[in-house]
Amino acid sequence: MKVLTVLALSLATPALAAEGKVEINPPEAATRDEGLAAFARIYEVASHPRCSNCHVGDDHRPMWSGPSYGKTRPHGMNINGGESRIGAETLLCSTCHVTSGIPNNAPHAAPQVAADWQLAPVEAAWFGKDADHICQQLRDPEQNGGRDMLELAAHLDHDVILHWAWSPGGTREPAPYSLQEHVNDILIWGVAGFPCAADPVEESSND
Amino acid sequence: MKLRVNGQDMQLDVDPEMPLLWALRDELGVTGPKYGCGIAQCGACTVHVDGLAVRSCQMNVGSMEDGADVTTIEGLGQPGALHAVQEAWIEHQVAQCGYCQSGQIMQAANLLDLNDDPDDATIDAVMSANLCRCGTYPRIRAAIKTAAQKLREA
Repeated sequence: MKVLTVLALSLATPALAAEGKVEINPPEAATRDEGLAAFARIYEVASHPRCSNCHVGDDHRPMWSGPSYGKTRPHGMNINGGESRIGAETLLCSTCHVTSGIPNNAPHAAPQVAADWQLAPVEAAWFGKDADHICQQLRDPEQNGGRDMLELAAHLDHDVILHWAWSPGGTREPAPYSLQEHVNDILIWGVAGFPCAADPVEESSND
Repeated sequence: MKLRVNGQDMQLDVDPEMPLLWALRDELGVTGPKYGCGIAQCGACTVHVDGLAVRSCQMNVGSMEDGADVTTIEGLGQPGALHAVQEAWIEHQVAQCGYCQSGQIMQAANLLDLNDDPDDATIDAVMSANLCRCGTYPRIRAAIKTAAQKLREA
């Protein structure tokens, strides 16, 4: 079937690598409290519209939000990324979100990056999810693409579609902090043992 | 750089950041694709690049492969041998003012390249990003179904 052929070709297209954009230097040690503080900052990023609007669930509908749109709303034009997450079932994301390294200066224009535009995997649905849900998902290799701490950081380094969140162009608000600070927080959180606030705290025995 | 436009090799010497739509219309004289919004919100500029529909106002020529294959409404069919979508468009008298129609036809043709029997929901999902201020959507949907049947029977 041609749709599947297109899908396979699209998924086979490698994202243009940009490794080396950030430094990956895990701290020697981090306490649970430092890990929780780092994850709180990670959640600010993950739940920010520049990230969560494409980390949507199994309705596959990307979201729009920002100063120009007011309240967050589904992507205009009845857009649905489908199970392929690249729109192969109906309208490919690449129809409008072309692959290019040119800065996104025009407000309201379809953002473009030097990689295939797509929704995040459905396992990483973050839109509308609370901090504990995202914390559990991000630390679980079965839900995070089989990544450990360093691989999560490397993913942020080389996947240029993620870099767009900090330089979205137009009048879009960038994700908080910076890419480097976000990578640093991933590393602090990882060295601390990926704590989540909802985890039971082990109490020392007095016996 | 070189582009293959409607089957003809064409040479371009332009700013790499020039959108394909500008290159087609102002440099190569291919005026079938229309300027509507310039920000991929309307679909009037839709063409095929290497067999897939794209908004040519968004694709900068510098980001295209040298020799990329570009098809516009002028190259979809010929006056004596129209594409099935063009035939169906005439049969259903889809166009009203006509400004968006080259983009509509190019998007519809790409839809039928990928799916030879789309249902109403699929047609709506694919065509919703091609706007028509005249509101010809019911005729667009009917024409796509007719074109799909023509292509299946061909």
